[in-house]
Amino acid sequence: MNLKNISIALTVLVFGVIAMLFMQKGNYVNQAKEHYEATTAKSFKGNSMVLELVNNAIDMNKQTWAIACGALQTVKNSQDMARLEAKFFPATKGSNSIANKTRRFEASSANVIVSTFGKVEEDKKTGVKSLADLQSVDVSVLLGNFAAATADSDDAEEEGEE
Amino acid sequence: MKILVVVDVVILVALIVILMTLKGGYEEQARRTANEQESAYLEKNTQVLVEQWRSVDQYSMAWKLVYSMLSGAKTEAAFKSNLAAIEGDKDARFKQISHLYTGAGINDAVQNGIYQKAGLAEGTILLKNEKGNKEVACGKNCVVKFSFAKGKLKNVDYSALVQYNLANTLKIEKPGEYHFE
Repeated sequence: MNLKNISIALTVLVFGVIAMLFMQKGNYVNQAKEHYEATTAKSFKGNSMVLELVNNAIDMNKQTWAIACGALQTVKNSQDMARLEAKFFPATKGSNSIANKTRRFEASSANVIVSTFGKVEEDKKTGVKSLADLQSVDVSVLLGNFAAATADSDDAEEEGEE
Repeated sequence: MKILVVVDVVILVALIVILMTLKGGYEEQARRTANEQESAYLEKNTQVLVEQWRSVDQYSMAWKLVYSMLSGAKTEAAFKSNLAAIEGDKDARFKQISHLYTGAGINDAVQNGIYQKAGLAEGTILLKNEKGNKEVACGKNCVVKFSFAKGKLKNVDYSALVQYNLANTLKIEKPGEYHFE
């Protein structure tokens, strides 16, 4: 009788341990799953953001380059330049510096080009001055050299077109 | 009879010991598989950013080359020397990529993390170098074409650069489910 009781008690104990084992296993799996989900979700979010931000930056960068390279091929005066700028950035306008014979186009602080012209022209009827004879387009800001192109932007700027 | 009970007890104790070991094993296994699957996913994401970084390097070199061909001497010889100068100036390459990333709002620490793994694009961007016809890589799935006649630049087709879009080709995949194996 006594033996029987002991046997039953021990058997119950074994089943208890087996049940505990499975519970613990479920617990470990859940913990691991939580850790995995938190880590991967963070990585997904962070890396997707980097990918997207860079892609957006390329979008603006390529259009600014396109203006610079297009200008070298087709632009003669500041009116042509204004048309080219408007083609890529309808909402942003460049500004002429008549004193420096330059025109600065700034799509954003990271995307700036400065074109230099050879002549200042004046509309006889309206007296509005504009720039002609494109000499060069400075892309140093696009190349990551900030200092070069910011130096000549502090002049009084006049709008040459419209 | 007594012997039977002793054997029974021994077996049961052994069983308990085995179960406890198994429990420790499960714990270790859960931790290990989670770590493995996390690292695999993180590594996959890093690879996408590495590829993006190298693509931006090619993209940047291609623009610089197009610009230098349009603003300077328009000859086949100039093409060759411009390309060599652009590819060879690794500091300028890094600067140009970093400038774009900074403009995008990506801080230096993140940039350096990507740069440590990616370095710069490997090899040359010159894909095709036939007499008169040159093709230059400008990032993933992007090609700029230069054509020369009698050593003089006849045409540059950089429309692929103007339309360049990495969003279609590079993607961070959503993480898969965790598997306890």
